[in-house]
Parts: sequence; structure tokens; C-alpha cells
Amino acid sequence: MIYLDNAATTYPKPAQVYRSVQSAMRKFGANPGRSGHKMSIDAAGEIFRCRSALASLVGAPGEECVIFTANCTEASNIVLKGLLKPGDHVVVSCMEHNAVMRPLQVLINKGVTCTQAQVYPGDNDATVNAFRNALNANTRLIVCMHASNVWGVRMPVERIAALGREYGIPMMVDAAQSAGVLPIDLKDSGIDYLTLAGHKSLYGPMGTGALITAKGDGLDTLIEGGTGTNSVSFDQPPSMPDRFESGTPNMPGIAGLRAGIEFVKAKKPEIIFRHESNLILYLYDNLSRINGVKLYMPRPDPRYFAPLLSFNIEGKSSETVGQMLDHNGIAVRSGLHCAPAAHKVCGTLETGAVRVCPSAFTRKEEIDQLIFTIRKIIRK
Amino acid sequence: MGKPLILVSSITYAMKGRDLLSKQGISAYLERVPHIEALGGCGYGLNVPRHTDEAEELLQQAGIRVLGRIDKEGPQ
Repeated sequence: MIYLDNAATTYPKPAQVYRSVQSAMRKFGANPGRSGHKMSIDAAGEIFRCRSALASLVGAPGEECVIFTANCTEASNIVLKGLLKPGDHVVVSCMEHNAVMRPLQVLINKGVTCTQAQVYPGDNDATVNAFRNALNANTRLIVCMHASNVWGVRMPVERIAALGREYGIPMMVDAAQSAGVLPIDLKDSGIDYLTLAGHKSLYGPMGTGALITAKGDGLDTLIEGGTGTNSVSFDQPPSMPDRFESGTPNMPGIAGLRAGIEFVKAKKPEIIFRHESNLILYLYDNLSRINGVKLYMPRPDPRYFAPLLSFNIEGKSSETVGQMLDHNGIAVRSGLHCAPAAHKVCGTLETGAVRVCPSAFTRKEEIDQLIFTIRKIIRK
Repeated sequence: MGKPLILVSSITYAMKGRDLLSKQGISAYLERVPHIEALGGCGYGLNVPRHTDEAEELLQQAGIRVLGRIDKEGPQ
């Protein structure tokens, strides 16, 4: 199989990720930190090492700023529902994933208001201005994805965060599609809340994600429960990250995530990014020469685009094309990619699109095979 | 006399504190602390047999909140 669905979940994982998950289940099988015995403390140590790795990858001030979640969606929910109250206004980009838009819809039903700022691919000045124009006196939060999971558009999140600082408005960045390939530094950027997925370009197992913030004490909790601390009290402890990590954590997943992060660090995110971007440019250049292929974005200049590409074939639904590719041994993602807002921007809400996303393991020959198969599908 | 235990609010801070002290040449050993009033129940502490005062100061300087200090009975 040629796997090009890495924007949904990377596959395969680096060998050390498989080894770490299995080893964690055997070596660190106790409840992390909840008991005082050696295996319990050792298990907590493995989790701490992952916090350190993640904190250093994104420039977080300390390990306590890393809150492990089940996925990026949970992390986004913690911020949105922990911060926004009826009467508050939030500004989001016009391309946000349902991980943001659905919890926001719940909040909108309770009296929060929302403005979608237009994104101008390749024109960061215009995008930042759109965010500026969307702010009002009640704006309590700015939310922007780092890169569109449908069109790959890179958002000028550092500049939008600077805009937020100018007006005293915190910013949340959804880095589900970018952590591990695009640089991000919490210290330099002034981003207040960073949410990310562990199972995408950080090469960890599914069921891993994180919210990274030094401002967790300003958020209400979504769930409460046992943390292994302050056990006499029924009140949730305020200490970070325990405040947001009730219940037994996904220890084997977190161990695998650490191995994935170490893989990315060793390979270097900028090298992975260049490799994947070159493949996407190669694919774009080839697809743009095929009659019947519909592309929606300009040639994806890596300064403005993350390495993924969505397209359609005239006269065929995206789902049909996805199935035909699957029958030819190529795995892609068709449909709306849980991001109807992004599809609305390009007029593909009805049709969806076929999304291709390489990984660090993808070879040029595999992209050649994809191009060959697309030509074959069009001829049918 | 028991072993001096610096109490902190979470295992994350305990591990962060242990690593920080180690970088300063101070040995610290993480311990799970059962029900203690200062912690409002069970929690975590750092056993710092030597330079305990200095260690406590270093932790606080690094933003690690120290919840108290006890002498725990038992082998050092």
C-alpha cells in the first residue's frame, strides 16, 4: 500500500515508536506516580521525559505547561470551554476544523459570538488585517490553525498573536497539522495556547495530544477527578498540569509520543518539511498538466503552504476517486476532512476533495505511482 | 532524626525540581508522600539529605512552589 493519508494520521510510525509503546507496557506497567513504588515512579518519569521533549520542541517555559490530552480536539475544547463565557466574542479563521467549530457552536448556543476572519493564501498582510477588522470590544480570544488541514495554507500565527497582544487578547493556535513540520516557539511568538495532535507529524500513537500553555490557571476545567494529589479535598487541585489531567493517563501512548518526538528532532523538522514540500511541489506540477484535474490553490510555495494538497477530478466525486485510488493500493482522504468551513472557502462543500499528504517516509516513486494512477482514472 | 523532605504540589514539579537540583550538584530523591496536612492529602516530596535549605531556595527561585518541609521517619 502507498499511504498518503498522513494528514489524518501518519503511517508507518518510526520503528522506535512501536518499540517504545511495547516496552512501556512491559517496563512501566504501573499507574504513573499514583503509588510510591519504583515502577509507578519510573512510569511517571517516562511521562515527564515526554513533557520535557514536547516543551523543548515548542519552546514552552517548562514541563508543567504541557497538558496531555487524548487528541487535539480535547485540547481545543479545554481552551474554548474553559475560557469563553456568554457575552464573549471570539475571532477564528475561515478555515477552522470542526475540532474548533463544533465546540464553538455549543458555546454560540449559550451566548458566545463568533466572527470568521477571511484568509488570503499567500498574502499575510491581508489575512492579519482581516483578523484586526474582526476584533471588537468583547473579543476574548483569537483562534487560528497553524496550517489548513484541507488546503495546506500556512497562517501567519505569530503576526496574529502579536495583534492579539496589542489589544490584550489571548490567542489559541491549533497546530494539529503543523507540529513537527513547521517551526513554532511559544516564547518568541506570544501564543498563549497551543493545541496539537501526537499522532500526525509528531509520529506518536493515536490517542495522544496536548495543550501547551503557561496560562492554565485561567481556564475552567472540563473534567475533574483523581490526580494523585490533594486527595483529601473534593476541590480540583490548582497545580499544573494535574488540574487538567484527571484519571490514569495513556502511559504507553505518551511513551510512544516521546519516541516520535525524538525521531522528529533527530531528523530535524526543517528537513522533513523540505522533503515533504518537494514531493508536494512535484505532485502539483504534474497534476497541473493533466486535463481533468482541478486544483484550488496557487502553486504551493513552502513559505505559504504546509506540505499537503487537495484536488478533484472533473466528473467524478471525491469519494469515488478515493475509492478508485484505494482499489489501486493508494490510501488518501476524500470528502470534507471534518473542515466544512475550509471547503466553503473554495466552493467544495458539496463535492469535497481528495487530499494527499506525504510523510518523512514517502518516496518520490510513490508520488509517481499516484500520478500514474490519477491519469488512469481520468482515462476510464 | 528523619530524612528532610521538601513538599511540592505535583509529581511534575517534583521531577522538574529534582533535575534542577541535580544540575546544581545537589542530590534529591523523589518520594511519594502519603496523607500529610500540608499537601491536603497525598502528594510528592523531594528528599534532599544535604544542602536542604539551599535546595529549597533554589526551587523557589525557579518558580516551584514549596508547600512545606517535613522530617520523614525512616532510612535516609
